[in-house]
Amino acid sequence: MKGNEPASFPEGESFVGPTLTIPRTKDGIPARLVTLFGSLGSHGEKRVHYIFDVGRPAYSEIVLPADGPIRSISTQAPAAAWNERELHDQYGIEILGHPDPRPLIFHENWPDGVYPMVDQMDDVVWARRDYRFLQVQGEGIAEVAVGPVHAGVIEPGHFRFSVVGDTILHLELRHFYTHKGTEKLFERRSAVDGVMLAESVSGDNCFAHSVCYCQAVEDACGTEVPPRASAVRLIGLEFERLVCHISDVGGLCTDVGFSVAAAYATRLKEFLLRASSVCCGTRYWRGVAVPGGLKFDIESAKVAELVQAIRRASIDFSEIARMIVETPSIQNRFETAGVLSKEAAQDLAVVGPVARASGIDLDVRRDHPYGGYDKCQIDVPVTSYGDVMARARIRIAEAVASAQLIQEVAKSLPDGDVFDPVASQGNIQGFSAVESPRGELCYWIQASDGRLTCCHIKSPSFQNWPAMPLAVAGNIIADFPLINKSFNLSYSGCDR
Amino acid sequence: MIGDVIGQSLRERSPLVPVEALLGNCDGSRMPEIVADRLTQAIAQRLVQVCPTAALGLEEYEGHHCLRLSYGNCIGCGKCLEAGEGAAVVAKQFTSCGVAKEQTVRRWNIDHRIEVKTGALGPQEAQGKIHSLLQRALNVRQLDAGSCNGCEAEITALTNPYYDLERFGIHFVASPKHADMLLVTGPVTRNMAEAVKATYEAVPAPKLVVAVGACGCSGGIFAGSHAIVGAVDQVIPVDGYIPGCPPTPAMLVAGILEVLRRRIAK
Repeated sequence: MKGNEPASFPEGESFVGPTLTIPRTKDGIPARLVTLFGSLGSHGEKRVHYIFDVGRPAYSEIVLPADGPIRSISTQAPAAAWNERELHDQYGIEILGHPDPRPLIFHENWPDGVYPMVDQMDDVVWARRDYRFLQVQGEGIAEVAVGPVHAGVIEPGHFRFSVVGDTILHLELRHFYTHKGTEKLFERRSAVDGVMLAESVSGDNCFAHSVCYCQAVEDACGTEVPPRASAVRLIGLEFERLVCHISDVGGLCTDVGFSVAAAYATRLKEFLLRASSVCCGTRYWRGVAVPGGLKFDIESAKVAELVQAIRRASIDFSEIARMIVETPSIQNRFETAGVLSKEAAQDLAVVGPVARASGIDLDVRRDHPYGGYDKCQIDVPVTSYGDVMARARIRIAEAVASAQLIQEVAKSLPDGDVFDPVASQGNIQGFSAVESPRGELCYWIQASDGRLTCCHIKSPSFQNWPAMPLAVAGNIIADFPLINKSFNLSYSGCDR
Repeated sequence: MIGDVIGQSLRERSPLVPVEALLGNCDGSRMPEIVADRLTQAIAQRLVQVCPTAALGLEEYEGHHCLRLSYGNCIGCGKCLEAGEGAAVVAKQFTSCGVAKEQTVRRWNIDHRIEVKTGALGPQEAQGKIHSLLQRALNVRQLDAGSCNGCEAEITALTNPYYDLERFGIHFVASPKHADMLLVTGPVTRNMAEAVKATYEAVPAPKLVVAVGACGCSGGIFAGSHAIVGAVDQVIPVDGYIPGCPPTPAMLVAGILEVLRRRIAK
């Protein structure tokens, strides 16, 4: 997909801001908002990019000029709400008619009127701004504040519960504690070196991030990745999904005190990570992908060893998974907990296993194939219950399917080179989407003579976090950790 | 059915890795080291140029022209391995875990092509000292100051049946008020700075602080960002450093034990 030229203002009319009409799919329903972000043109002019999923195979991008205010689309597409707040915080673009114009990514310590994507970032002063949480009032309503530092080995974030007794009426999220200004750090880096930063966006999904970034650069440069590199990347991506899902299902068991299954899952995960370390010298596939292919070739014999380990782990995992879903006390805790309705999931354009557990049939691997996925049969499990059990079942099914996919691809691993250098001359733009373990992940990059000038990351966690409070409402506060775990969202991936 | 799974797991060999196999182990960490006799001035300069996080640098040390490798800055990107013509290789052993900041640095004398020795304990020496650490308990509170969650994933692995940190009497606790040691990951972001200080204050004295990962040790790949304050030691006092991006569970175990050993040796 290539960017369209920014639309120009109609002349002679009084300025009311450029207006976006949300595109529709073939079936006439409003298209799903994939992401929304800002960028700067070659003369420093501000633009807003809207990316929609209008159906297979391509995404559709609309670019509007944004040197003045723009009109919010959050009331028509609630999924845009956080994106628009982020757009304002990064670029200082005024969003007219936004239902919640509070700052998002910067907290009380950030001064008003300083926008990292357009201003100089030397010595930003420490400010003391106000931040107002939503007030829920009424008889017997109490507020419970949790975080940013949580009780466990977890990332930081703040949760503000309004409860009546044990029951949660409302949950307000406050995130971006791990905001590291990552998108800004891409600027001026060479297009080849950007991959190091992409690997540090969300550590447990680092291979999905690195491949997605590489594909965006390859898209911009028009490079075809050699088939062997493509196949090894596919194995890596599915390996990451398998490891993540095993870990998530184990984590759910930890949260309900089912230690046997939890310990077994951590054991399987470690078994796989150690096999990966032997195969390619890295446990999480860091430093493997590079724009143009792979940094080094992995011997077919070593790949075969890894595949053997995956086969074994997958058999063991199926056994544990069966034990989990068939244990009555687990069913009791998992079923009907944290239901996310299909309507809510659609409104917030939720992606990944969470969407599929709420009845949304969506998978980038099948809908917008990349790498070697067009040659693969991708079965997408979908269920409509939307509860913790549904999300667990989706992950179990996907983990087993990933293991099978790896074995199939490994059977006919192509020979040949694994790297074809990318030539990134001139002004280029590229876009790529990958189905990460958490769902649709996108990178949009712009480069000038091999140096990045802009990079946007659409992380599935950023998209899915706003849906979590909706699933939590009406449940008891003691079930919150379980529901949160069943979403398994990355804080760092969201905050970037 | 649970009986079947437990039965099967009892029949299998325990995956527990003995402590001797953990000390000095850095498999899968991608940490580099320098092969002294391959080092030339030209190669050293090239290595310094390609390093994206200034982990490699040239400096005068004790009157000698040296190549410095600060592991606290290294993210294991592998650029030095590509550019070094064999002078940089993946480290087979790693002893700079849980040490003071100065000992996370290694130096190679470029003119004489030898490593400048520092006082860090080799794994064999460390092993002998480990037994003095038994029969003690240590409560650890992990604090994410802005990490990418790579370090968290590896810290979580410490409780799995391969590493089983509890065998050393080391537990993860839920509150800083119950902790003896803070294990801090990530560059400290602007948005977390206040919470990091408050968490540190909440730990009762005497307390130990360990900075984990390239980001915790130096800011790593995020150094210089407008949204971060910097390394952990720019916000709270740090007793030991565990480099790596992320450090492997073996490096974490070795690092935590080393901080403890140094504390007791004091």
